[in-house]
Amino acid sequence: MRYLKKFIDAMRIIVKNRKGFVGLILLLIPVSMAVAPNLIAPYNPWDIVDKPFLPPSSKHLLGTNDVGQDIFSELVYGSRISLLVGVSAAIAAVFIGTIVGLFTGFYGGLLDDILSTITDVMLLLPILPFMILMAALLGQGYQNIVLTIAVFTWPGIARLIKAQVMSLKNFPYIEAAKAYGASSMRLMFRHILPQIYPLIVAFVILRTGGAILAEAALSFLGLGDPTQKSWGGMIYWAMNSGAISSGRWWWIVAPGIMITITVEATALIGYAIEEYVNPRLKGE
Amino acid sequence: MSGLIRFFIRKIIARFITFFVILTLTFIIPRLLPGGAFAYLVENPNIPPDLRQVLIKQFGLDKPLLDQYLAFLKQFFTTGNIGISFSRLQPVSTVIFQALPWTITLVTTSIIISALIGMLLGLYSAYRRGGYFDTISVAISMIIRSMPGFWLGMVLLIIFGYYLGWAPLFGVYTYGYQYSNILDYIGDVLYHLRLPMITLIILSIPEYLILMRNSVINILGEDFIMVAQAKGLTDREILIKHVFRPASLPILTALTIDVGFSISGAMLIERVFSIPGVGRLAYDAVYMQDYPLLLGVVIYTSALTLILVTIVEIMYSFIDPRVRLE
Repeated sequence: MRYLKKFIDAMRIIVKNRKGFVGLILLLIPVSMAVAPNLIAPYNPWDIVDKPFLPPSSKHLLGTNDVGQDIFSELVYGSRISLLVGVSAAIAAVFIGTIVGLFTGFYGGLLDDILSTITDVMLLLPILPFMILMAALLGQGYQNIVLTIAVFTWPGIARLIKAQVMSLKNFPYIEAAKAYGASSMRLMFRHILPQIYPLIVAFVILRTGGAILAEAALSFLGLGDPTQKSWGGMIYWAMNSGAISSGRWWWIVAPGIMITITVEATALIGYAIEEYVNPRLKGE
Repeated sequence: MSGLIRFFIRKIIARFITFFVILTLTFIIPRLLPGGAFAYLVENPNIPPDLRQVLIKQFGLDKPLLDQYLAFLKQFFTTGNIGISFSRLQPVSTVIFQALPWTITLVTTSIIISALIGMLLGLYSAYRRGGYFDTISVAISMIIRSMPGFWLGMVLLIIFGYYLGWAPLFGVYTYGYQYSNILDYIGDVLYHLRLPMITLIILSIPEYLILMRNSVINILGEDFIMVAQAKGLTDREILIKHVFRPASLPILTALTIDVGFSISGAMLIERVFSIPGVGRLAYDAVYMQDYPLLLGVVIYTSALTLILVTIVEIMYSFIDPRVRLE
């Protein structure tokens, strides 16, 4: 019950913000597809339901693909993998980033120097070739893509969390807790961490969008899981089946629009939460 | 002057250490992973035994790890090579040096043009803050940032390549065409690179636009702007003489981080437009499971990024000498 109330409070905050409201509405599209694909999609996306390469018609809203599967049904079911990979990679990256940020911000010193060096370098380097290498070495499978994305996106989060922790640890209430004899662990996890929960939620939402884009890029390079359907994977197969040179724009446009809507939604909701946490941002 | 030189040397040493770490990682990772790149090589039944012996020798897999590492470093620093690409049967460095110019061309031109356009649009957006232009340009920027970049390239290619016929559908040359002179050749290549470059420019503008807009809004609130207005300068004079230069400093800082993003973006765009750059190599290497080539792509894209970033930092130190004191 307590969590339900918190959830409703959070929703109220997001809906009050104009950006957040638009974001939630947009997010309903992919989420409803992922929750109840069987109610929305007319066919099973794995069934060969018609001749291959059919153009859009009333029977197949987005035509059929290279083996005769219904593209609209693929799109609806594809939302599941895209959202799942996005959310899990974001949670994994934010989890690592939070732990690292908490410790480096709290202890500072050498730990902080090491983290700063790693973060600086990782923000500078082109991460795509590194992600390609890691995904290729780990082999196909969505867990591996989640792991790859998380490994290369946590440093930015760690840096932001660190900054928050460094300012929080000088607050009088922390000093009071310390005076009462609270251990470092207790200070970090009981007194500081709860203060940054809203920020963590905002990061998870914002990073979900980034992770969906990363998944699409890796799938587009042929590193996706061929046994699953995702939006990035659909674009990959469309490209490899000559969708461009035969002008089948619907096959490419549809999954890309779904990705754009989802990423835009996460960005808008993320901004709304950030504006709530940090009201100075408002109107910028 | 000596401060300047010390600044350069410090930057270059730091970048070199970074590169050395990357080089070491690309050596260690494929050897550490169970069932990784080299297990694939050793256990793959499709590789004939005699070729396998050659490959094991080439990577020195029968020697102790430290010897392998020293040999790896020696080979890289004397020849720039890290092994033989087994899909192309050429040294990795040869394959990559043929591909790099395409990627460098795409990345450098798109960064320069998009930064310039983005800064001008951002300046105007901030000047007309809250107006139609501002609202629309910020909204469009957010939408572009939510798109997969390669997908935008594909959409533009279908519109302008397939339906309108304004751009070729793939490649960087016209096949079977005899060039009469070098200008003819450059013209043909530029004709082929036009659409991928425009795609990359569109993708990078939002970053600079938003940054410049926020930077200009901050500066317009400063006291010296009020002084300039009190002196009777026109808005145009104030924007050009007093706002543009200080506002563009954060953009130069952002450029250093944008180099890496642009290289990643260009690699994906190369696959869309079939440009034979390093992105195309990475795709082929994954497809053919050509790990030496893939490692080469990682090493050389990192080196390229570090070099470009160092150039930007040195330029920055001339525009804003304060950074040398860091």
